[in-house]
Amino acid sequence: MSQRQQPLLAAVLLNGILLMISSSLHAADKQTPIEQKLRDYERRISQLEKRQQTTTNTNSSSLQIGLSGLFSAGASNADNKELAKLQGGGHDPNKNGFTVQNVELSLSGTVDPMFDAQANIIMLIDAEGETVVELEEAFFLTRAMPGGLQLKGGQYYTEFGRRNVQHPHTWSFADQPVILSRLFGGDGLRSQGVRLAWLMPTNWYSEFYLGMQNAKGETVSSFLSAEGEEVGGHTLIAREARGSGDLLYSARWLNGFDLSDNLSMNLGLSGLRGPNASGYTTETQIYGADLYLKWQGTGARGFPFVAWHTEYLQREYEAADPWQANHETLRDKGMFSQITWGFTPGWVLGLRYETASASGDTSTDPLRDNRSRISPNITWYPSEYSKIRLQYNRDKAEHFKEDTAQSLWLQVEFSLGSHMAHTF
Amino acid sequence: MKIIHIILVSLLLGMAFNSTSHAQLKVETTTQDLAAIAKAIGGKHIDVNSLTPGTRDPHFAVAKPSMIRRVNRADLLLVIGAELEAGWLPSLLQSARNSKIQAGQSGFLDLSQTIDLLGKHNVPVSRAMGDVHASGNPHYWLDPRNGIKIATAISQRLAQLDPANINDYQSNLKTFKAGLEKKYQQWLSELSYLKNQPVIAYHTSFIYLAHAFGFKIVDEVEPKPGISPSASSLGKLIRNIKQKKIILLIMEPYYEQRSVKYLKDKTGIRIAVLPQSVGAKEHIKYYFDLFDAIVKELNNKDSQ
Repeated sequence: MSQRQQPLLAAVLLNGILLMISSSLHAADKQTPIEQKLRDYERRISQLEKRQQTTTNTNSSSLQIGLSGLFSAGASNADNKELAKLQGGGHDPNKNGFTVQNVELSLSGTVDPMFDAQANIIMLIDAEGETVVELEEAFFLTRAMPGGLQLKGGQYYTEFGRRNVQHPHTWSFADQPVILSRLFGGDGLRSQGVRLAWLMPTNWYSEFYLGMQNAKGETVSSFLSAEGEEVGGHTLIAREARGSGDLLYSARWLNGFDLSDNLSMNLGLSGLRGPNASGYTTETQIYGADLYLKWQGTGARGFPFVAWHTEYLQREYEAADPWQANHETLRDKGMFSQITWGFTPGWVLGLRYETASASGDTSTDPLRDNRSRISPNITWYPSEYSKIRLQYNRDKAEHFKEDTAQSLWLQVEFSLGSHMAHTF
Repeated sequence: MKIIHIILVSLLLGMAFNSTSHAQLKVETTTQDLAAIAKAIGGKHIDVNSLTPGTRDPHFAVAKPSMIRRVNRADLLLVIGAELEAGWLPSLLQSARNSKIQAGQSGFLDLSQTIDLLGKHNVPVSRAMGDVHASGNPHYWLDPRNGIKIATAISQRLAQLDPANINDYQSNLKTFKAGLEKKYQQWLSELSYLKNQPVIAYHTSFIYLAHAFGFKIVDEVEPKPGISPSASSLGKLIRNIKQKKIILLIMEPYYEQRSVKYLKDKTGIRIAVLPQSVGAKEHIKYYFDLFDAIVKELNNKDSQ
């Protein structure tokens, strides 16, 4: 940079000197060769300036840096202890008063002709007021594998369904669907591993994902999760992965269709299989189906639009207690269906309905009881970089004695830095 | 087992089908304007498609799955650049996993690099200024002289990728250039009444048009780029229109018309809704059509 500036600087200095000389000469003689020389220098300077501008434009580093902050304030007829159970997502507004839901630093860019890479580091303040820092994701992606293949490796959100991989700043609602909190824990399903995706040579968009990840940790809660906690009355044990059979395997098949110029649809099927910590040989399987339909009109800023997103998830959890013959399969299922309507540039109305239930007597278990929630909301986007959202939750949970919990959340988000991707 | 066989066989058949039509270069463009110019230059040697339709604001497009598939198979990708596609092109390029059309490769052409962009900010840009593009205003296709620069760059790139047909690309460019130069003079004389006139635009997207036809954009309906007008900003605008005796307001078809109708009621200013892109209206198929339609709209003094 500084080297490039030197000739420019020199030229500017030279120009200044020449200007002085010329103005002193100008009085004496109007048609000197110096004047012509001066014009020549001026032309060269303007050329240099132009070159300078184009180099600074193309020089921009490929590192994209963004910081988004998501805050909320709210009130509920449920107390904070109950709210922590009802709002199970790690980034959900979950207390009366203020919540710092998510502050996310995102770094991404192209490494070299082979790789792209991305890291998301999140900070949040939990219900006890402690600041929590997490390496949410850090992964590489190949750029140029042949045959439509792409390899991803590192720590990343498992491609299961549509919602699991979405970061809080792209959510259409203030909180995470109940069934996702139940099956994948508060922070979504993510772990360390690799996955291969194949963009199939079909006449429509069709992509197949196959992955394996570590099955141990808080962020894979249906698998080798925290020792001492309970699932369906069975205390979880310390179980380590002992071979490739104890990894978490995932598969997803995603299809996309343009039904018309304005209407597009995504259809996906996903499956997971891995060990769980209920016994030494027990296993969990999770299946899901997702549908996304979006109509987009031709107004300003991508408005108006109507988007309908529905997912169904089901889990079969093999549960046991070591050295006891109480082997059973726990079945959990749930769905959410949400519709968002961008009725005028910057304004979006949303409505989400969800249910979740499980096999056996679950009436006192906040993670498995019968549950239904309806959430209307309205969001205003003053620009692409900020939003203000008001959401009402009407929540029926079997374990909650007062029967219906009613909460109102006001959410504000900002993003700084590089341009966020427009999600389909 | 049988089902797996059927799926595999049909996938293989699908691959065989796709590899048969390789005679033409597959060109994808981010806007219909680029597609129209590319078609004029490439003619029968290229198969060109626009990723976004001209009826939409290309800045607010989304990377739809169908686009991933198309970019995956492209031989050449033409983009407007200058951050116009910043919201969706990077993720699209990542998902498309096509090494030919990545930035820096011969299959990737950012046409903003061939243009002297207007509206560059040499001071640091703040988002408090609204949605400002620091590297320059990206709506440069609205100056027909830039159309010639775009066509020249496309012709050179096509010749590089497909040297066998270099003569066709060069002669198509010659025809395009001669036609456009002639038309430009005609459009200039048709719009001579606008010379040096003050005009209001809805968004900062017409500075190249103003530059090409010699009128002056003195104010915008949006108080800041990308920010919707408010009652007070409209009030200010009304005073400005009366003071400077501004007679014309130009806007794209996709913006709301409530505030401009209000301005019209208060001041009597004429509103011209200008197609901003090829494909904005059904009859605008070629790059020439776009300016024919714009000139017609600007001359339609009974409009609105």
